[in-house]
Amino acid sequence: MPLYNFKTINVVPTGKDFVDIVLSKTQRQTPTVVHNGWAIQRIRSFYMRKVKFTQSSWHDKLTKILDDFPKVDDVHPFYADLLNVLYDRDHYKLALGQLNMARNLIDKVSQDYVRLLKYGDSLYRCKQLKRAAMGRMCTIMKRQSASLAYLEQVRQHMSRLPSIDPNTRTLLVCGYPNVGKSSFMNRVTRADVDVQPYAFTTKSLFVGHTDYKYLRWQVIDTPGILDRPLEERNTIEMQSITALAHLRAAVLYILDISEQCGYTIAQQAALFHSIKPLFANKPLLVVANKTDVASVDSLSPADQALVREMVVEAAKTSNGGMLVGGEEEAELLTMSTLSMDGVMKVKTTACDRLLSMRVEVKLQGKRINDVVNRIHVAVPQARDNASRPPCIPPSVAAARALKDAGAAPARKTEKDMQEENGGAGVYSADLRKLYHLKDEAWKYDIMPEIRDGHNVFDFVDPDIEAKLEALEREEDALAAAAALEAEGMDEDHLTPEEAETLRDIRARKAKIIAQHRVKKSTANNQAVLPRRADRERKSTSTNMQASLERMGIDATAAMARARSRSQSRAGRKRTRSEAPEAMDVDAAPVKRIHSSKSRSMSRGRSLSTAAPRDGAGLKDAAQRNKAVKMSDKAQRKAGKLARRGEGDRHIPDLKPKHLMSGKSGIGKRDWR
Amino acid sequence: MATRCQFENNNEIGVFAKLTNAYCLVALGGAENFYSVFEAELADHIPVVKTSIAGTRLVGRITAGNKNGLLLPNSTTDQELLHIRNSLPDEVVVQRIDERLSALGNCIACNDYVALIHPDIDKETEELVADVLGVEVFRQSVAGNVLVGSYCTFTNQGGLVHPQTSIEDLDELSSLLQVPLVAGTVNRGSDVIGAGLVANDWAAFCGLDTTATELSVIESVFKLRDSQPSNIVNEMRNSLIDSMA
Repeated sequence: MPLYNFKTINVVPTGKDFVDIVLSKTQRQTPTVVHNGWAIQRIRSFYMRKVKFTQSSWHDKLTKILDDFPKVDDVHPFYADLLNVLYDRDHYKLALGQLNMARNLIDKVSQDYVRLLKYGDSLYRCKQLKRAAMGRMCTIMKRQSASLAYLEQVRQHMSRLPSIDPNTRTLLVCGYPNVGKSSFMNRVTRADVDVQPYAFTTKSLFVGHTDYKYLRWQVIDTPGILDRPLEERNTIEMQSITALAHLRAAVLYILDISEQCGYTIAQQAALFHSIKPLFANKPLLVVANKTDVASVDSLSPADQALVREMVVEAAKTSNGGMLVGGEEEAELLTMSTLSMDGVMKVKTTACDRLLSMRVEVKLQGKRINDVVNRIHVAVPQARDNASRPPCIPPSVAAARALKDAGAAPARKTEKDMQEENGGAGVYSADLRKLYHLKDEAWKYDIMPEIRDGHNVFDFVDPDIEAKLEALEREEDALAAAAALEAEGMDEDHLTPEEAETLRDIRARKAKIIAQHRVKKSTANNQAVLPRRADRERKSTSTNMQASLERMGIDATAAMARARSRSQSRAGRKRTRSEAPEAMDVDAAPVKRIHSSKSRSMSRGRSLSTAAPRDGAGLKDAAQRNKAVKMSDKAQRKAGKLARRGEGDRHIPDLKPKHLMSGKSGIGKRDWR
Repeated sequence: MATRCQFENNNEIGVFAKLTNAYCLVALGGAENFYSVFEAELADHIPVVKTSIAGTRLVGRITAGNKNGLLLPNSTTDQELLHIRNSLPDEVVVQRIDERLSALGNCIACNDYVALIHPDIDKETEELVADVLGVEVFRQSVAGNVLVGSYCTFTNQGGLVHPQTSIEDLDELSSLLQVPLVAGTVNRGSDVIGAGLVANDWAAFCGLDTTATELSVIESVFKLRDSQPSNIVNEMRNSLIDSMA
């Protein structure tokens, strides 16, 4: 996660290019055809559009540049200082400030000329106004050429800066030129820093990474520093100073005890003491390099005293000015980057010191509470006496022993097979190769999946044999029991009549069972027929008779009744009128029934429903009269309003259009 | 020994593989690369079976099992069941179960002795889990997540659970499971432990994104290569604090 990435800043064009870019963009992306005959408003808007478009292009491009470059006040102090050292903070801010100013001026010019264009009274004038506006904008930008060129250089340089994360675990290597800083860096990281036998080989900061204790460590190689006042330091040295001042890192002060670098131990000690304030509150290690040439013991006593003093001082500085544990514990680390002696010890010591310091700080912070559960190993409380041993096959230990001995045979994996047989997508692995079956020969047997329309697996049951056996046993037992029962019943004492009935009963029972089975087997496939359509269940007189007789009931009376009823329902067939055989005087005169109703009901067509009987549901004539009166009264209102009934809410067209509209006004014509 | 691997450029390898002490199921892929990672490590000791489950490659997420048995969802086809049955040793009981929560791997987390299950799982399934897998069953949640299988992985040696599990929950779970537990992440900070990691008593596999710190925590808590869970609080403590806080 690079927090600071200066590699994505877009290229800053030179002043001339910038003008060309914007003007050609305007030409390409706005309409180009205008005619003298157009309405003046259209001509004005044509040119206004050009001016506004140019302005917005400038605005967008300048805003992009201003946003891309880091603000010195917003970035990490390390980068702010580095920018100051490398590019001169004032110059940098000024360049960006000028671009900002240019942006505002361009906005203003555009605003003015758009306002003027509103009053342009011909195509020619409008065009001149547009030309003037664009000319002024371009002039403003041409004046920024120097700033743009400077910013482009800065951009190119920044994109080559190493991506240093100021907040991560960092080892910072510093010291006089040529003492072996870059050699150390090359030894512990994979960064390939140039090492040459002259001073100031390293002219800028370099970053490498190394792993220790499962973590990634950033190692920063700095240019050499000379012992002189801060004001006299050059840009190269200042980069080192910046890194030392702002990065919370473990500092390795490399000391060349062979003095091959051209500086005496006394000079190196003097530098150490003069830049000591920069080391405050950081883990600081004094490392004696080039032990392959000279050892610490071979130094003169004066030099040894100087080295000792530095070591003790280093122990003090890194603990905030207090010496913890006495002078003896402050240790001088020695290494030889040539022979690799002690290099790893230097690295681990520095990493450990920094790590413990960082952890100490973090333990005091608030965020530690979020992760405290993750550095806790929950150890189980025994809840019963059951033992739960791990299940590791013995072959695992054997294989591991073999592997540790380096004698493990390389296994031919499926991937190897795949590569041999045409690669992924071509090779088709054999899935059945590793089957565990009773008989090896069964491996490639084809298993039927569907048979006779049935899924074979639905019938697969591992216990089928046992189940079948149990079933057969049960069936035998039942059969035996039934035989025994049949034997026990004797039909000898029955009369022939009774025997006949018994036979009938049995036959009927068998028939019922058979019918029931048929019904049951087809139950799900058969639609339920309505009784009307089912011949068996249809309620006809014959069915009734049959069923009654089956129950042993005499059905004659029922049948007769049913017949008579059906006759009455169907309407009596007109009988042949019989001539009275003899005038029977005694016979009562037949009362002729005639009602006016029958006349009133005679219609050309039949009525679909019978009309209600007059006065149905009313008690007597008085009530009927009242009902008639009430109905008359209820209809009166609707009648007055010409309604069909009380539900009629029709609103007629009160002013029909065809009658009420016309050209004639208030009747001046004498005809219509 | 923990191994980093990927399934077709995907780091969630727990989705595509199921590892137990008696067998290993691996999804069918376009190439043999993923299978061979498991094969090289395990095939000398236990069967490593390539299979699909219900036609999908989500082998690890929809099956649950240990050395005693294997539970498959209802949607497993007959042919897959036959293939698995033929490939696994006879001691392993393979059972297809009717469970509404059919992603069994997400809902059931188990080792050879104890299982945690989703609180909403059927009573019948709970009994089946106990019978087929031969385990004690507890209805539990991990750090407030009901998908216990997704958010923890444990073996008979130790376990890794969701990073937000509180210390009290950790101790409680640890006593239930009777193995040491650690809250942690895989795949560079992913909290779906079950998807990023598969482990048994002597091997573990995790996604390719897993960092060195995460890997060392995994090795320590699962006691792989003779490391011990106590390493986490002793040697690795500083590194852990510095990388996490």
